This record gives sequence, C-alpha cells and structure tokens, in this order.
Amino acid sequence: MQNVQRLPAEELFKNEIEALIAAEKDNIPTGWKMSPKSVLTYICGGEVNGTKITPKYIGNRRLVEICIATLVTDRALLLIGEPGTAKSWLSEHLTAAINGDSTKVVQGTAGTTEEHIRYSWNYAMLIAKGPCPEAMVKSPIYNAMESGAIARVEEISRCASEVQDALISILSEKRIAVPELGAEVPAQKGFSVIATANTRDKGVNDMSAALKRRFNIVVLPAPTSIESEMEIVETRVRQLSSSLDLYSETPNNDVIEQVVTIFRELRNGVTLDGKQKLKTTSGVLSTAEAISLLTNSMALAGSFGSGQIEPRDLAAALQGAVIKDEDKDNISWKEYLENVMKKRGSEWRPLYNACKELN
Amino acid sequence: MATPVFFGVRHLSPGAAYSVIKELDKLHPDIVLIEGPSDLNDEMKWFCHPETKLPAAILAYTQETPIHTLLYPFAEYSPEYQAILWAHQHNIPCRFMDLPSNVFLAINEKTSENTEDKNNDEQGDTTELVYKKLEDLLGESHDTFWERNFEQSEENYMEAAKEFGKQLRETATDSPYRTAENSVREAYMKRVIMQAEKEGFEKIFCVCGAFHVEGLQNNEPMSNTDENNLPKVSAKATLMPYSYYRLSQLSGYGAGNDAPAYFEILWESMCQKNIEQTTYRYLTELAVNQRKQGHITSSAEVIEAARLAQTLAKMRNSKYPVLQDLRDAAITCMGHGTFSEISVSTASVEIGTKIGALPEGVSRTSIQDDFYRQLKELNLEKYRSVEAQQLDLDLRENLRVKSEKSAFMDLNRSFFLHRLRVLNVGFGTLLKSKQTQANWGEYWSLRWIPETEIEIVEAALLGETVESAASFSLKERADKSTDISQAAEVFEDAFLCGMPQAAKYALSAIQTLSVDTAAIVEISKTAEHLSTVIRYGDLRKFPPEPIISLLSQLFLRACLTLEEACNCDDEASKQVMESIDRINKIQLNHEFLEENRLIDVLTSVSDRDDLNTKCSGFAMATLIERGLVEESLLAVEVSRRLSKGVPADLAAGWFEGLAKKNRYSLIIRLSLWKQLDSYLQNLDDEEFKRALVFLRRAFADFSSNEKSNISENLGEIWGVEPEQAADILMRSITEA
Repeated sequence: MQNVQRLPAEELFKNEIEALIAAEKDNIPTGWKMSPKSVLTYICGGEVNGTKITPKYIGNRRLVEICIATLVTDRALLLIGEPGTAKSWLSEHLTAAINGDSTKVVQGTAGTTEEHIRYSWNYAMLIAKGPCPEAMVKSPIYNAMESGAIARVEEISRCASEVQDALISILSEKRIAVPELGAEVPAQKGFSVIATANTRDKGVNDMSAALKRRFNIVVLPAPTSIESEMEIVETRVRQLSSSLDLYSETPNNDVIEQVVTIFRELRNGVTLDGKQKLKTTSGVLSTAEAISLLTNSMALAGSFGSGQIEPRDLAAALQGAVIKDEDKDNISWKEYLENVMKKRGSEWRPLYNACKELN
Repeated sequence: MATPVFFGVRHLSPGAAYSVIKELDKLHPDIVLIEGPSDLNDEMKWFCHPETKLPAAILAYTQETPIHTLLYPFAEYSPEYQAILWAHQHNIPCRFMDLPSNVFLAINEKTSENTEDKNNDEQGDTTELVYKKLEDLLGESHDTFWERNFEQSEENYMEAAKEFGKQLRETATDSPYRTAENSVREAYMKRVIMQAEKEGFEKIFCVCGAFHVEGLQNNEPMSNTDENNLPKVSAKATLMPYSYYRLSQLSGYGAGNDAPAYFEILWESMCQKNIEQTTYRYLTELAVNQRKQGHITSSAEVIEAARLAQTLAKMRNSKYPVLQDLRDAAITCMGHGTFSEISVSTASVEIGTKIGALPEGVSRTSIQDDFYRQLKELNLEKYRSVEAQQLDLDLRENLRVKSEKSAFMDLNRSFFLHRLRVLNVGFGTLLKSKQTQANWGEYWSLRWIPETEIEIVEAALLGETVESAASFSLKERADKSTDISQAAEVFEDAFLCGMPQAAKYALSAIQTLSVDTAAIVEISKTAEHLSTVIRYGDLRKFPPEPIISLLSQLFLRACLTLEEACNCDDEASKQVMESIDRINKIQLNHEFLEENRLIDVLTSVSDRDDLNTKCSGFAMATLIERGLVEESLLAVEVSRRLSKGVPADLAAGWFEGLAKKNRYSLIIRLSLWKQLDSYLQNLDDEEFKRALVFLRRAFADFSSNEKSNISENLGEIWGVEPEQAADILMRSITEA
C-alpha cells in the first residue's frame, strides 16, 4: 500500500473516522456511518476522545453545515466554484465520513456516456448467456443506489446534456429501470449524489433547469480571509516541496504574504483595506495557482538561483500568472504596479522593481 | 410577590415583547416603569394614540451647536412599547425611569469633548469584545445566537435574559467611562423605583435592559445631592415617525436590528402562538418577491428550502429555524447557491419599507430647529417670505470685519443654501452666475412657501441636522451612482456644501467607478473637474490632499488608455481630441503628475500610423505646443503624412488634427505650407477633389484673420499678391 501514489480519504484518515464512530452519541441517519455533527467535526476539525481531528476544509464552516444538512434531507448536492476552491476535495471527504467510501465516482468528461451513469454490459457474457444480472456492469451510481450510499459525479457540466439528463430520473424517481431484465432497482435509504461543477466551464454544457432543480446548490468561495489563505498555501507548499526535492528553502512568511496579497487583490478587484478598487484580470488566480507559483519559483531558485526565492524569481512567475489575455491584463497589471505596489513601502520595493523591469 | 419585579429585555426583541405581556397579565402590577428618559413621560401618550403607527422614535437633541442627539426607536415588537400599551389599556400609571434626556445629552457632550473619537466609546469595546468571543466560539453572529436561544423560548424568557445579563456583567469589563455611566444610570433608575415605592405603589414592574437587572437589584439609589449635581444642558425632545429602513441601519446592541420586517413576521407568528409559521411566511414572501423580480421560483423550491432550514436548525439544536438558517436555505434552494440572486428580495422581506406615522402636529423635529437656528445665525430670516427675494453672495473672506464669523458669513450662507438644495428643500434657487472670469460670486433667489416646511420635516428622516441629513443624502447618491459623471456631480455638491467628509466618500465612489468605466472622455472630464477643485478649492476652505491622489490615479489611467482610445472613427475623434487637450492642460497645471508619462504616450500616438490620423495630428500639435518638436522632425512628419500614397481623407484628417491647436505657430512656419503646396501639386484631379473636401473642413474653423495670414504665406510661395490671394480665399462659395 505504501507505494500507492494517492490513497483515498477514508484510508488516509482511517483512525480519525474510527475515533469519531467510537465516540458517537447523536442519532445516525439511515445508511450513514456517523451523525451529521460528527461529519462536521471530521471536515472542519476538532478533537474527540483525545484523538485530534485535522481540519480538511479550511473555510466557511456554515457552508459545510449546509452541505451536510442537504444530504440529511436526501437531496442531491451540487458544489459549484472557481477552479481550485476544493470542490472535489470536500466531496471526497464528505463521502468518506458519511459512508466510509469515497470511491463511487463518475468522472464527467466530454466522453462520458449514459452507460457510465446507469449500467452497461459485459458483452462476452451477454452473448454467451443473454441478459442476466451477472452480465451486467453496474455504474458507481447504480452501486450506490443498491447499497444506500452516496455517489459522486465530478465536473458534471463537462458531460453532454443527454448524459446529465440520465441523472434526472434517478434523482427524482430514486429508482433505475433495467428493461432488459424486466427489473426495477429502487434506491435504498441513504442514497444521494454529490456533483461538482466549475464556474469557469459555464456554457460548455449548461445544466438544464430540470436537473438544477434536483440539486441544492452550494457555491464554494475563494478563501475569505488572507490568514486562512496563507495557511492553506503554506501547508500545501511545505507538503509539496518535501515530496518534490526542489533544493530550495521554503519561502518565508513575507513572500507568501506578498503573493497571496497580490492574488487576493487582483482576484477580488479591491485592495485588502477595501479603500481602492482595482481592475480584475481574466485569469482565475486561485489559491491552487498561488501554490504552484510558489513551488515554481522554488524550482527556479533551486536550480538556477541562490536557493532562496528572490524577487526576480517571483516577478517572472507572477507576470505569467497574472497576464493571460495580453492587452487587458497588461493594463490591469501595470495599474496595479503603479497604484498599489509602488506605494506599499520598502518591503515591497524589491518586488516592485523586479516586476517593473519586466515591463 | 417580591416587589419590585425586574424584567430584563433586549430592546427590539419580539420574544421579550411577547413574554412581557404574558408576565404583565400574570402579575397585574399597579405601576409599570420603563427604561427611557424620565423627563419625557408626556410623549408616552402619543404612543397610545389611535392614529399613531409604529415604527416611531423619541428624539432628544441639544439646542446649541454642535448638536448632540439621542434616539429611542420603537417598533411594534419593542417590549417597552408593548408594556406602555398594556399599561394604557389597563389604566395603570406608566413612567420612564432612566436619566432625563437633558442629562444624558450633557453626558454625551462631555464624552465627545474628552475622547477624540466619540464613536469608539459609544459602540463600546469590551461588551462588544465579549460578543465577539461568543461569535468566535459559536461560529455564528451574536444576533443569530440571541434569536436561537432567546426569541424562540416561549417560556422562561425572563430568567434566561436575566442570567445572560448577569453573566455579561461578570465577564465584560467596560471602559471606566462606560461603567461609570452605567452605574449613574442604574442609581438613578433605582431612585425612581424607590420613589414609586414611597408613593405607595405595591406591585412595581420594571422593564429594562437585561444588562441592568443585576445593577437595579443590588445598587444603592442616587442621593439628592448627587441628583442635583448631574450635568444638564438645555435640550428638546420630540416624537418622530421612523422607518424600518432607518432602523435596520442602526447597528449594535439595543439600538436597532438588522431585519425589522422579519422580526415583525416573528412577532405576529408569536402572537398567533405559532412560531413555526415564521419559516413558511418568510420563505413564501421571499418567493413572491423573487417572482416579482422576474425569477422563476417554484413551490417545490420553497418546500425544499423549508426542509433544509429545519435541518440546519436541528444541527444547531434549536427548535425553529432562525433568520440565518432561513436565509442560508433560501440561498441554497432558491438562489441557486448565490446570495446576489435573492438579495433584492431579502432586502424587502427582511427590512421592508414600512414607515411610521404620527398624529398631526406632534412632530417637532431637530432638523426644523436646526434650520431656524441657522436661519437666524446667518441673518437670513427676512428672506422667509412668500415673495421671492434675491441674495448675492461674495464667497471671499471679508477683510473689513473683525470676527471670523462675519468674515465668512457669505461662504457659510452658501454652504447652508447648497445643503438645502441637496436635500431638495425648495427654499433657495441658484441663479446663473454673472461672473465670467472669477467664481467668487453666487446668486440666489430665496422664497418660503408652506411646502418648504414639509420638505424640511421629510429631511428629518435623513438626519438630525441640516448638515447630517445632507451628508446622508449625498452618501446615498454616491452609492447609487452608476457612472463616474454622476459621482463627480455628487462630489461637486459635497464641495459646494462644504462637507469634506461626504466629498471624500464621493471621491472613493469616483475611484471605484473609474475602474469600470474606462472611457477616456469621462475620465478626462472628471479629472478636469478635480483639477479645478484643487486649484480653487481654498475659496471654500477645501482640503486638497485626497483629491490629489485620485487625480494622479485618473491621470495614470488616462495615459494608459489614451493610445487605445485614439483607435476610433472620425465621429469619436473629436471627443478624444478634447480629452487629450484636457489631460494635457491638467498635467501643465499640476506638477505632481508625471510629465514624461504623458509625453511618451503623446509621442507614440503622434508616431503611429494605424490610429485615427486626426488624433495623431492633434498629439503632434500638443507636442509642438510644449516645444518638444524640432523643425526638422515636423518637416519629415508633414511630408510623410502628406505623401501621395496616403489616402486623401487620412492625410487631410492629420492636417486637421494638427491645425486644431496653436495655429499661430503653424502659420508662421513657411516650410509647412510649402509642404502642403507640394502635396497638392502632386495629386491628380480625382485625388485633388477628394482632398479638397477634407481640407476645406480642416480650415473651416479658422478665423478670417488667420485665413488671410495663410493666404499671405501661400501668396509668397506662389508668387501672387497677398491681397489678391486673400480676396479669393475669403470669397464665399457660389453654386457654380
């Protein structure tokens, strides 16, 4: 198991889940492994009988509450957000805590077909034996219905609309018909679906109103405060650099703060003190991008520089991250440099000069 | 029963109002005492008047400047109001027991003298800190905490609130000033209670803030000497109609609440003994509003929202969903995950538009008093007549008088009249200025009609004094403005009203909007405006610092977008050229704007061939004006722009742009005309006809004097008599 590149959440946090189940006091909904409150503790962190529960989602606790409450009311849950706002991360951990199984996943792509949502056949056996239960290949959703668990659909808006529509009858009738066998499989109590969709993909395959209606929609925002975003960035950068051999020191707090500040300000279109409005750029500037920007700069510094992130390492990476759509972004970036960064005082001076040089 | 009974409440709490009535019915006291200014007992009767509709507020205010005000807002669901009503219905005496309003105001006045920032102290820091800690602990706002734990408890409200107040007293250590104020208030209230006991009342029922219960039970009453030593100011008080909107804007404990209309729903549901109904009423009203906005909201969504809200409430261990649960559920189910989709509807369901009403003649507002006081102070009383009279103002400092007050009398009058104008009070009408070269004169026509009085009372809802009302109205307008010119107007008004704070607010609105509207024309106009204020602002005693930084920003933005803007059609080029001219002038007027940046942009515009040629020509002209173009460069440019391969309209357009400015220096450059001549010589007939049309237009707005100067030049080139050439040039064209 140790050589597996990535373990599912329920394996990684096995002892936490077990501790929570052992300490359970509240009512457990049918099909669930623990009570809604314990799920909340699992996601947002806490302590139970001496076992420390690490927070999985750093952000608005209330949103997690809404997600869990939605699943309690047996409604399907749709998580929407910009790229890099931990949608899949949250959906994985929700299912890991609720069912102890986060692996019933359908990945939505342009190539996803209706069979991936419902069921398909093992054709060799189908020809040999004719339609029979053994010849059937069940989709993760089919399995979830049978066992009363929660299935996940990733990137639902990337699926073609007929594939999305296959979900409608499943979510409203809560049963799946298999005409070949003359059977109908009703969903067991506890069945639900968590889907994720990307706001930047809007319009690729827009979700129909009929399908949307069957979901409770929760929009995951970018981190609300600079402190929490810095915390996320710092944790992830440290984790990544230890596994990637970057030969560079991890960036100090000031560097992280500067990068996160720039990202936040340009993303929100307003300076942190709220006093000055800014032009936003066409890029997303997500937290995930900030993390990769920093690891990139570390690689640059480690391989070609002094082994410590310097303003010029950052400047090039920043420019690349900010300026996506040449003209418009360029103006925004220049304005930002002159109106905001230049006036920030001596700590920002080196970075400002490095950025200015590139322009 | 143990007398007296203290009922600790939260002001504006339906739960408290409900429990107060229940308790009153149970105990049936013979006197009711209420936390409120004890000198204003007379105002109470108006609350019980059949024509009175809540919300209403008691307003006390000092009569001398700076004006301090004290506001006690009441809504239908205020426990104090319900207690007053109960006493009235049962015919038993009811009194206010807190410090008299004039004492309160005197204390407030002292505070604002002592501490730099009065607001800081008023909002309190340490009680707030306890709330803050509570919020951090629960992950919920304090209002939500209160609603979950107190509003929904149909029983035991009194004990619960008392306990909360007691523990708050133990945990919070307020600033010494506030603690002192509280103990003075409590001692005074205790004194009033003792007095009632002395008068022989046996069953005394006190309604006060939950925080004070402990103090009232244990503290000593105020002695006679202490009472005599209380500071006093001369003050007045009035009842005034209030609105839910204003109520929702007062924040902080006790002063107001965020969602008056929602609390009214809660109150009504409670009275019908059916709190659960609140959930359904809130959500269905929201759905109705959503449909009115044109959203499609199905009943299924409302049902899902109700289920989700109830689950959320259960996860938080409360019996019924609270506002926060309801709103979150509505966002999830009806707003499809985004608050913005339902924000308009939530505003009308949670805040509402209800406005109170009072019987006629009851209201004597502070703004009316303030108005008459200023009228007197500014010697404007004689203008209070139905006949229109004219008033000429000289805004400059009057150096012949001694006191500062009279030196700036006219300026202050102007501020006052402008503030009224901003408030839409039709007392003064601004007449057109007769001055052309200066701007220190202002001309008004003043007239007083009965409507004016009504307009002033209406303005009372915006603020307690003319100044504060004007500032509120300006702020609102600044918030509403959608483009930069509107915001600039607000700024101008604030400038005219002499209100730097409001002006600053308008400036930030301009800053915000300038980011969205990148149009060079608007930016340059606004910048020009700001530039004027910087240069002449000291006439109105206006500090220029905040404007300078915004002007630099606008200037930078203009420079960055200018080049792109020059890529336009002929229609728009006129405005773009005007903008270039404005920006150029602004830069010349203010040294703090980077000259090089503008010159770089202008040079680039002037050099580029792919922009509108008029703009390029104009940029060249601007550079010539600044003395930055060498004779040789001009010659090269002229021959390049006016070469044969260039389409006639573009060439003539360039010349037109070039000739827009500093004509004299162009006219005296003979080489320029030689170039033009050789260009025309080179054209064939067809091309010449086209060029002629455009060149004619280019010369259209030259004066006859300029034209004759040109003809002299041309005469010299062609070897013709100057007069002869001039004659031909000046002749009007006939149909031929």
